[in-house]
Amino acid sequence: MSAGTTLPAGIVRDPGFPTQSENYLTNSKGVLSWIFTLDHKRIGVMYLIGVSLSFLLGGLLALALRWHLVDPDGALFSNAIYNQVFTLHGAIMVFLFIIPSIPAALGNFLVPVMLGAKDVAFPRLNLSSFYLWIFGAIFFVLALCGSGLDTGWTFYTPYSTTTDTSVILATLGAFILGFSSIFTGLNFIVTINTMRPPGMTWFRMPLFLWATYATSIIQVLATPVLGITLLLLIAERTMQIGIFNPEFNGDPVTYQHFFWFYSHPAVYIMILPAFGIISEIISVHSHKHIFGYRFIAYSSIAIALLGFLVWGHHMFTAGMSDMTTIIFSALTFTVSIPSAIKVFNWLATMYKGSISLTTPMCYAISFIFLFTIGGLTGLHLGTLATDQHLHDTYFVVAHFHYVMVGGTLVAFLGGLFHWWPKMFGRMYNETGGRISALLVFLGFNLTFLPQFVLGSRGMPRRYATYDPEFAFLHTMSTHGATLLGFGLLVALIVLLRSLFSGRRAVANPWGGATLEWNCTSPPPFYNFERAPIVGDPYDFHDIEWDAENERYVTIEPERKLAPETIPDEAPAHAGGQN
Amino acid sequence: MLPAAFSLLADYTEDYAWFPDSASTFSEGVDSLYYWITGIAFFFFVIVIVALFFFALKYRKAKGEKATSQVSHNTPLELAWSVIPSIFLVGMFIFGAKVYLDMRTIPDGSYEVGVQAFKWGWTMDYGKGTYHPELHLLVNEPTKLTMRSSDVIHSLYVPAFRAKKDVVPGRYNYMWFEPTLVTPKVSDEELAEATKEVEESGGTWDYDKYQFTPDGYKFYDLYCAEYCGENHSEMQTVVVVHETREDLEAWVKKYSSRGDNVSLEAYGEQLYERRGCSSCHSIDGSQRVGPSYQDAFGSTRAFASGPSAMIDENYLRESILYPKEKVVAGYAPVMPSYKGQLSDDDIDSLIAYIKSLSSAGQ
Repeated sequence: MSAGTTLPAGIVRDPGFPTQSENYLTNSKGVLSWIFTLDHKRIGVMYLIGVSLSFLLGGLLALALRWHLVDPDGALFSNAIYNQVFTLHGAIMVFLFIIPSIPAALGNFLVPVMLGAKDVAFPRLNLSSFYLWIFGAIFFVLALCGSGLDTGWTFYTPYSTTTDTSVILATLGAFILGFSSIFTGLNFIVTINTMRPPGMTWFRMPLFLWATYATSIIQVLATPVLGITLLLLIAERTMQIGIFNPEFNGDPVTYQHFFWFYSHPAVYIMILPAFGIISEIISVHSHKHIFGYRFIAYSSIAIALLGFLVWGHHMFTAGMSDMTTIIFSALTFTVSIPSAIKVFNWLATMYKGSISLTTPMCYAISFIFLFTIGGLTGLHLGTLATDQHLHDTYFVVAHFHYVMVGGTLVAFLGGLFHWWPKMFGRMYNETGGRISALLVFLGFNLTFLPQFVLGSRGMPRRYATYDPEFAFLHTMSTHGATLLGFGLLVALIVLLRSLFSGRRAVANPWGGATLEWNCTSPPPFYNFERAPIVGDPYDFHDIEWDAENERYVTIEPERKLAPETIPDEAPAHAGGQN
Repeated sequence: MLPAAFSLLADYTEDYAWFPDSASTFSEGVDSLYYWITGIAFFFFVIVIVALFFFALKYRKAKGEKATSQVSHNTPLELAWSVIPSIFLVGMFIFGAKVYLDMRTIPDGSYEVGVQAFKWGWTMDYGKGTYHPELHLLVNEPTKLTMRSSDVIHSLYVPAFRAKKDVVPGRYNYMWFEPTLVTPKVSDEELAEATKEVEESGGTWDYDKYQFTPDGYKFYDLYCAEYCGENHSEMQTVVVVHETREDLEAWVKKYSSRGDNVSLEAYGEQLYERRGCSSCHSIDGSQRVGPSYQDAFGSTRAFASGPSAMIDENYLRESILYPKEKVVAGYAPVMPSYKGQLSDDDIDSLIAYIKSLSSAGQ
């Protein structure tokens, strides 16, 4: 129905605005009420601040790297400093930003609200996982202030057991962060398993929850392997035990197997929640039922499981046996199918929808574009023969930045803009938001498209200096990075400005049908005034645009009591015919 | 075609874009596979992107308008778009594995070169005591490299050959390739001019500047592709492909052990360049990873472990063979041992050379 028509008769549900004292931000005051809070929403907000600061630090390091590479002999950095800068850029981005960004920051805020629960299953564990994150981050900062770290974020042996930089501090940091990640995953698994309200069946769960669930499985199963590996590394460094270092009869490739057994699934810790966010955004801003709900849900689980079987593709040139290499190559291709399915499903969701090009939608479209490139260039690397040439070149750098930055970061930003009104009760400037999405998109492509060409022409990664024939493409890439940084700055300004001068947000600014849009913005302390009514999370039939008040409201047709002869018609949440 | 379209962006001085020269029997297979995958990827990319932007614009509606369809699934369609891409993936896997197996099957009777990788340089072993950092090969002759590392993991990468293999300490790794293009020789005048220039400035040979070797051969780049510490990006050498076996053998002979009329000192200087000493030790007093040779001989140094001592012949010999025993204070113990790699005559030559760089030694 178009704007201006009258709303159909029925029961209008619109939670309206929260009163001054009934939202989670204002119900208690003071620093201590935040430090000791057990409220998942406040913990989510604290994580959001933490990961954003980490991202800022990692991003500034990235810009420094790019500026160095415009004129590598101009010596912005010495070789040794360059190595430390790229190591910290990678380690901070992976361990402190990408892995916790969506699950810990957005996930903590959203999982209980979308589920219709009051909190996570273990609120104290949740708070402790945040403080573990802080401790882990402190260790990284100590490593930075100490003698630096120059191993690359992968800590490959035997380099990491012999270098005289702060390997032990950094690996201990990663070890502690691992616990934080495990606790978050454990909490979500238990929450989703046990705290679904009546009527919330598995297949009525929003896809973001499916994605979070799949992610949590990986976090709980894979992270301990990383922890043990890092402890072995520390043991070898301090006690000269022969595990990885051939000098003590160890085998360095063993380390790579252990490390990637965690770190390849970790790639899916980074990207699966992003898939969840995009599924929500595309459906809500197209006002259309998500296409192929079950395929998307199952493909999340499939990716989580298959992701455990493909780690060997990081070692195609390390000297594994030919049979092992071929098996890993075959397995690697299987994981690309569920990812492709999701892209097609999102497109089909947009087909014949009612699309609003809001800021989150712009980010989601940008995500599909960038993730498609990231996914498709993975084919060159999964194929054995081409990988021999492209391995450890800038082609790989471009590929994984398309997946992690073009994928995870862009989805994170899209999700942040999508749920920002819910989290803080304020609307942001739409034009500013869209400009940031456009700048991020253009800057990102200008940064990383040239790197595909650099890689296929043979430019190895992690080089502080390079042969003159690569200079032009490097300069292009640096200009792109600057533009990308500017776009992110615009996004930050738009969001921060909204906190001070933004319009007050209504409960359901986009017309979403998932449960979080049923409570006020920002949500009350216990999320819902009364147990929410659970239906299909992507059913937009009842959601109408109220042109007079300029907001989306839910209009339920007046239900007559179901006749006793046809009990099936009773809504699932009504608890039977009585 | 795509490569042509990108060549402007990539490098206006070269007529190629996606790849460096195609110079081995692997290049064609890898390149065509690459183009084939890129073609398929591009095809699916165009479908996705056209649909994405077309839908985003076509179905853009005013606020409050309902979507014209709420279809939530269509199993045949979903099966189709799962199965059809899978068929392409199987194709990529099979062809990729096939070309890969060719790259892994080393032909019998290959020309063999030993490779020693260390922080941060390469030593190629041509047998009979001939070592040199440059890799010299014969055209159309399969070559097998037997590779080992003295310290951390390195990776030998020749982009023009599309070949790469990690060099892992504690084990031998093997790779092979067959070069198909001869690297031409520059004219004698050009070589003489460059040689004169280098001699006059007293510097070392700059491969990037001249784009040919001190013997006048043009070359392909050889990189270390696995991160190995401070000078990872300087760990480069060159590959020269000779046209005839005689030419290759003449080159190898030129660099075999010290000739009758070559002084210890002069040969020591050659070894300094060839065996990678120059990547860590300067001869002009400048700071590198290891101490400079300038005025080293006869000076007294403090050691990280134990008392200080004077640098003499015995100390130099011990440091070449057991470099971690007495490390000069302020330097990391990163030098690999040359035990078993240098003959007594080689070590004497190096010591003579180091002595010549010090006023105390003359």
